[in-house]
Amino acid sequence: MPRSQGYSSNLNNRRQSTGLRPFIVLCVISVLLLTFSIREGDAGIIHGARSVVMTVTTPVRYLGSIIASPFNAVGNIASNLTASPATLSDLEAENEELRAKVAELSEAQATAERLESLLGLQSTYSLQSTAARIIGESGDAWSRTVTIDKGSADGLAINMPVCNAGGIIGQIIEVSPTTATVRLVTDENSGISAMVQSTRAQGILQGQPDGTLRLEYVTVDSDVKEGDIIVSSGLGGVYPKGLPLGVVSSVDRPDNASYYTIVVTPASSETENNEEVLVITSLTDEQRATDDDVASSNASPQGTARDESSTQDDAQDDDAAASGDGSSSDDGATDAGE
Amino acid sequence: MPYTNAGTQRSYVMPVLAIVAAVLQVALAPQISILGGRFNFMLAFAVAVALRGDATQAVYAGFFSGLFYDLTATVPIGLMALITTVCSFALASVGGAGTSGFSPTSIRLAGVGIFAACIVNAVALVLLGAEGSILFSLGHGVVTAILTSIASIPFLMASGSPSALGGGGFSARGGRSGSRFKTVPRTRRRSLH
Repeated sequence: MPRSQGYSSNLNNRRQSTGLRPFIVLCVISVLLLTFSIREGDAGIIHGARSVVMTVTTPVRYLGSIIASPFNAVGNIASNLTASPATLSDLEAENEELRAKVAELSEAQATAERLESLLGLQSTYSLQSTAARIIGESGDAWSRTVTIDKGSADGLAINMPVCNAGGIIGQIIEVSPTTATVRLVTDENSGISAMVQSTRAQGILQGQPDGTLRLEYVTVDSDVKEGDIIVSSGLGGVYPKGLPLGVVSSVDRPDNASYYTIVVTPASSETENNEEVLVITSLTDEQRATDDDVASSNASPQGTARDESSTQDDAQDDDAAASGDGSSSDDGATDAGE
Repeated sequence: MPYTNAGTQRSYVMPVLAIVAAVLQVALAPQISILGGRFNFMLAFAVAVALRGDATQAVYAGFFSGLFYDLTATVPIGLMALITTVCSFALASVGGAGTSGFSPTSIRLAGVGIFAACIVNAVALVLLGAEGSILFSLGHGVVTAILTSIASIPFLMASGSPSALGGGGFSARGGRSGSRFKTVPRTRRRSLH
């Protein structure tokens, strides 16, 4: 009888182990982690842990990037092959091989062109920068970020701006010793002090959930047109002034509104794996907004009237700026300083 | 001897699956984006563990999977850990030995769990201010749920049923010869006719 009672008791104890206790404990830990991670901002123990994990997982990220990169080029080839009927298997195999080589060489050419443009951008704007390479995109579906293969060990820090051949692509928001996370300008949490290049009308370039950009807070008495180049104003002190950000694709003036609704197409199109980027490590005095710039923008946020005589001349320069040359942007920034 | 082999198999399958999920999450998930959605291999793994029916194991797997996801993505740390822990506990409570492994029931439960986790995550991100548009956030959540549900199938197949892998099922609780479903005593069997 006692033995029977003992067995019964053990059985009941096992059945009562429903995992409720660890469930409650871990839920409380999760809530605490969530609270502290939000409250501590970008630096702290919890974000330090993320930095450690990012560092440890860097080799795996590299591996994923290397594995995924050939598929970017070969993806189109695979779809093309299904469209054409092949009669001879040898020719088909040879054709496939040649196409793969063409794709590989095209990638190499595109890389060379990007590097050339980056060098052009660096010399045009006298950027003090470090070259890096994109090794991955955001791990979640809700943010637009990329990971680059340089980190605090290479002198990178939070808030440093990052650009590619087209212009500014974003800003570093997290850094580990070997990698850094860049929030793209199209992320809805991104905001950059910007201006219309031709009229110096000031605004904030804000990312949107749909991946577009909007130039906010441009008053309706400003002169803004479709095709205008948007450049950084440098007022925030983070981005160098005059770097291209995008091109105005539509301007809308709602009834009784104080501000325009301006949609901007990003100057730097989609970022991709293994793409080379420049991290601007420090700004020179010329790249910072001066007190005169700040005073001027405060006095006339709507900017100045468009100079019609120089519009045609600017058009050519605008094209160059939009393609990453940026010589006219630099001139424009100097004008603003004056 | 066969029992020992099955037990050994069971002991290393889940850690291996955890490592595979972690590697895929870090290496592959950032590379693939379809209609704004991305794979969440850690959630897929946690769901596969939860459907084995062991609530304690499910809760731990859910928490650490979610935490790993949080630490490797640019999301508020602790959010996915909380969601995955709750989801795993709920699935482990709802499911049981009959729902583990690759079966229509387990796939259905996994899909529901993953969908709920992704939608709750999408709404929570909006409430926390990490996302501005509820519509876009939900859209990404739905696509992520679909991709993650697809990713969970191999994990469900690999995890298998606990009883098939040796122990943890009915026979372990009731003993080798015992059963939860007791046979009707002879005295009562007559009266049942």
